[in-house]
Amino acid sequence: MSGSRNLTFWTGFAVVVAALAVAPPLLPPFWERFVTEILIWGLLAMSSDILIGYTGMVSFGHSAFLGLGMYGTAAALLLLPPNLWLAMSFGLVGAAAVAIFVAYFATRLRDIYFAITTLVFSQIFYVIIFTWTEVTGGENGLTFRQPPLSIPFLFETRFSRETLHWFVLAVVVLSYLVLRRVTQSPFGKVLQAIRENEPRTRAIGYHVERYKMVAVMLSGLFAGLAGSLYAIQNKFVAPDFVFFLISGEVVIFNVMGGMGTLVGPVAGAAFFWLMREAFSRFLTEYYLIPVGLIFTAMVIFLPQGLLGFLRRRLNE
Amino acid sequence: MIADESRGAGAPADGGRSPAPLLRTEKLTVRFGGLTALSDVTVSLPRGEIRAIIGPNGAGKSTLFNCVTGVLRPTSGRILLAGEEITGLPPHRTSKKGIARSYQITNILPGATVLENVRIAAQSRHHSWSLLRHHRAYTDVIDRARDALGAVGLLEHENELAANLSHGAQRNLEIGIALATEPRLLCLDEPTAGMSIAETHQTVDLIRRISANLTILIVEHDMEVVMGLAQRITVLHYGEVLAEGTPAEIQANARVQEVYLKT
Repeated sequence: MSGSRNLTFWTGFAVVVAALAVAPPLLPPFWERFVTEILIWGLLAMSSDILIGYTGMVSFGHSAFLGLGMYGTAAALLLLPPNLWLAMSFGLVGAAAVAIFVAYFATRLRDIYFAITTLVFSQIFYVIIFTWTEVTGGENGLTFRQPPLSIPFLFETRFSRETLHWFVLAVVVLSYLVLRRVTQSPFGKVLQAIRENEPRTRAIGYHVERYKMVAVMLSGLFAGLAGSLYAIQNKFVAPDFVFFLISGEVVIFNVMGGMGTLVGPVAGAAFFWLMREAFSRFLTEYYLIPVGLIFTAMVIFLPQGLLGFLRRRLNE
Repeated sequence: MIADESRGAGAPADGGRSPAPLLRTEKLTVRFGGLTALSDVTVSLPRGEIRAIIGPNGAGKSTLFNCVTGVLRPTSGRILLAGEEITGLPPHRTSKKGIARSYQITNILPGATVLENVRIAAQSRHHSWSLLRHHRAYTDVIDRARDALGAVGLLEHENELAANLSHGAQRNLEIGIALATEPRLLCLDEPTAGMSIAETHQTVDLIRRISANLTILIVEHDMEVVMGLAQRITVLHYGEVLAEGTPAEIQANARVQEVYLKT
């Protein structure tokens, strides 16, 4: 029984990954870039699903992890020889440093207090980055050169639009597989028990705070990875990405796509970006009015999100 | 592990010092502002005993449970588990020491399956920090979970959502979760609350079955259940120990008659 279910899952997985790999070169350049970017925002949304969907902690501070991943990568590319892997590790270290900090303080608090604390932390980082012009470039952000795509000692080549897309796809798919496995692991099952009933989880012998800390760190690390990819794609970072608006959008991706599925938030990100793209063509800056109405309707009529109906299958 | 415990303690030699009781509270006092919920409560529970705590509402029964399991920190006094001081340890630590409890108001993981409810409890002792293997690969945990489910008679419901179980079955799942943590001391807070007469009888049988290698502390209002299960009874009244003795002694006690058993 679980064998056939597994087969369905992996078939679906293979079809989606194949479609994402084949499609972009067939699309016009604008849309190719668009798909690559959605994968990056999808990874960010997926990382926050670990907290929102699996542990039941709503984070309004994911922009901080994203931003530190970006600026970490930017620092490596500006100060060190241009190496893709070095740049990405710097991004991860940056995000991990913030994550440890946020995890330590924030897991002492629950529910709305946790959400507010993450929001406050991300705004602190925003202000620091915005005002510390000598180091961060302030309002203008930083620009730098894209590192070449390399596998150490094997080859090195400049990124083309296609190879960049495939590279991002590979990182996102790999991240998905790792995160999915984590949610199925004994540790992941503890997170889901915390979501279901925190006091009971404590009473059966789990040090809940420690599990939450690791969950925040894991989530922050993958958000930082998304930031690093974004910096490499755009050769540019700016404080706007650390602003809490991004964190709010991440929560919206989760709600729209379906929390607790990992791929739902990716679908949510795609849906949100497509709507923004479609409406802003006619309505320019008023595009948020129809997007907001659709979001409200979805919360009422589709509270599970776009892929919520697949939740059990995706988590098996 | 449980077997080792009892072997380690050994049978007291004739006339020798008896081993430390499994649970002992010494002059336990809890005050909430001006209200004294527990006042100098000293209770001693030998290994293997089923002890009932009875008393009118507000007598301090739940407060006593909350202290023993670490939910509340007593204002003063000590709690000892097999001679080791556990006063003020938080719930996850008392659980690790071997104290498990079931709740007066059903407290399960409603969105998880019946098996997952006990599996996660069993897992708290084994492999809980594993991140990259599927939880189903740890068959030892699943075996323990199934043992616990078997003990409470819920094995055939293992794939159902816990929220969909009947009230009585959820109450027994509570006990199953507690058992899956491999406790030395099991605290049952009104295990038959809200149950039909038939379900109550089943649960009494169940508790008797699992009591073989356990020490059990039980709070219960149903006198039939108490008299049928408990070897000794402690009566609490306004936070103080009013009387303690065998069921027969308690039934014959005039003070207890006056404050509690009449009506």
